[in-house]
Amino acid sequence: MSPTAGGAHVSFRSKDDASFDAEFDYVVVGSGAGGSAAAVTLARGGARVAIVEAGAWRDPDDYPSSAYGSMRDLMEDWGSQVTMGRALWPVVQARTVGGTTVINSAICVRTPDDIFDQWEREHGVSGLRERVGAAQDRVERELFVEEVPESARGLSNLHAKRGADALGWSHSHYMQRYVKGCLGAGQCFQGCRDRRKQSTNLNYIPETMARGGLVVSSAPVDRILFERDRAVAVTGRFVHPATRATGTKFTVRAKKAVVVAASVTHSPVLLMRSGLRLPALGKFFRAHPGTGVFGCYPDPVDMNVGATQGWASTGFRESPGLKLETLAIPPELVASRLSGAGTVLMQRLGEYRHLAMWCHAVRAESTGSIGRGVLGGRPVVRYTLDRADMERFRQGMVLLAKQHFAAGAREIIPGIAGMPFKLGPDDVDKLEEAPLDPRRYVAILSHLFGGCVMGRDEATSVTDARGRVRGVEGLVVADASVIPTNLGVNPQHTIMGLAMTFAEELLAS
Amino acid sequence: MVTWLIREAIVRLYPREGDLPGAEDCDLDAFLARFRRETSPLMWLGVVLGAIVFHLTPLFTVSVPLPAFALSRELADRHAQRISTTHVYLVRQALFLVKLVAGLAWGGHPSVRARFALPPYPPDPGTWRTS
Repeated sequence: MSPTAGGAHVSFRSKDDASFDAEFDYVVVGSGAGGSAAAVTLARGGARVAIVEAGAWRDPDDYPSSAYGSMRDLMEDWGSQVTMGRALWPVVQARTVGGTTVINSAICVRTPDDIFDQWEREHGVSGLRERVGAAQDRVERELFVEEVPESARGLSNLHAKRGADALGWSHSHYMQRYVKGCLGAGQCFQGCRDRRKQSTNLNYIPETMARGGLVVSSAPVDRILFERDRAVAVTGRFVHPATRATGTKFTVRAKKAVVVAASVTHSPVLLMRSGLRLPALGKFFRAHPGTGVFGCYPDPVDMNVGATQGWASTGFRESPGLKLETLAIPPELVASRLSGAGTVLMQRLGEYRHLAMWCHAVRAESTGSIGRGVLGGRPVVRYTLDRADMERFRQGMVLLAKQHFAAGAREIIPGIAGMPFKLGPDDVDKLEEAPLDPRRYVAILSHLFGGCVMGRDEATSVTDARGRVRGVEGLVVADASVIPTNLGVNPQHTIMGLAMTFAEELLAS
Repeated sequence: MVTWLIREAIVRLYPREGDLPGAEDCDLDAFLARFRRETSPLMWLGVVLGAIVFHLTPLFTVSVPLPAFALSRELADRHAQRISTTHVYLVRQALFLVKLVAGLAWGGHPSVRARFALPPYPPDPGTWRTS
């Protein structure tokens, strides 16, 4: 092992190298919001912790600058995973030390109270409210949660607030984010080279190392090993971050427990590959699918100047079931997002500086599943929105259109196949009648839940209310895959709160 | 040959227009060589299929039995618009992938960013922590 300050990091090792073996108290699979929060909690409790991460460890100086670089270096398979359903919608996940906290907008929203009620009522999950809340208090202090500063808001976020205020919307606000002194560089998607965004590769993971931990990167776990009914190790082969060449074998043994936090798509599939057969494994997948609506403004907006995401409204969370947010995307992504090609597309792109994109995330009730693909056993997400969710989806677009017009937009670009490219203020009724076929829309799934859901009923859950996998010892799931419902808000804070609570429970046991 | 097909599709999807550079002004050959080297096989396959679809479908969009690379500029332009907005979902998705990759080449280029008052991107280092 190559020692670093206070701990150790092992990265790719080729086939010519000897296999890598280590033994720690706990092994945490995955280093995103859940894995890092669980790991640092265990390390603070005096345990020796190994974090095993499929992606490479990139420091801010290693971060890409362009969207191309982000897809190459930080995303899983260039962001090419899509839902298998009526429509092929991308499933956005990172693959790097720090996980999706490196590429997201670091939006911090506490778990809504009604979610704990719902978990208790529908899934028999109780006793989490106070403990998750206490963990979230701690995270907010440690990761410097603050409102987007005035100097970093940028015109897109300011317009959004103005539009929402003009419509009298409640719960319209500049976001609270895990960002210390945002400079408004508009580079959240590529990782914050200014080190302002508090992704977990900058804090909880180094702290885990400093407390004697180990980080094994570029190391996708192939399976969990069991002795009798106890999880005792994880194993796999290193994969080169650039060439994708397979390296030597690694095995990291856990004296006390294995904590799986490999993401909603990977955690259930890892459990499947490891031979677990539970009726609910891979089931009850949920998401917050969303899309963006562009507003075309008379003066330049320059949406890439200022915080990538700085404004939000949670006022529609309960009815119709939406979250609204700003989202700035660079020219290279606007290019594919606008419909058309050839001269028509170039004329549309000529307006880039006048465009502001705001988006919604639908609190969808539809459920899907996660399974193993035939090629290499990779995750396959089967998911299609039902009619009620598509109506919410469309309603969100109507709200965004009205907000743009209230903020002074001349026209909006809804991006619905088969509809006019632009709509004016008098055309909003056309949007209200837009088709409900998901194939007409360009959307993404950014907030994912389920696949290893927690609950009381053995037939409908994979873990208990502390993340402990049923039927085996020493195996805990600590990521969004345990969440049995949608949230209607950004999930990072809930994931961290749950992971810390589960880790505290492990220490206590 | 395959890379040439992709290149010719991209040039027609993102032509030069007024003072806005087209994909052919954006070091496209170097980009495609880099993309071919760095991308995953699955992504590359998708882009190849998308480019083939683009070149083989003018009969259905402009009623001309020629591949798109053999069309006049005007016809190719009309074909590009029609095929990228077709009602056939899988064809539209195939073209979307080519548009996405082409957009990375076009929108990330310094000349395009300058046109939108954005500074050039510093190089993507492509490095990672090894110790």
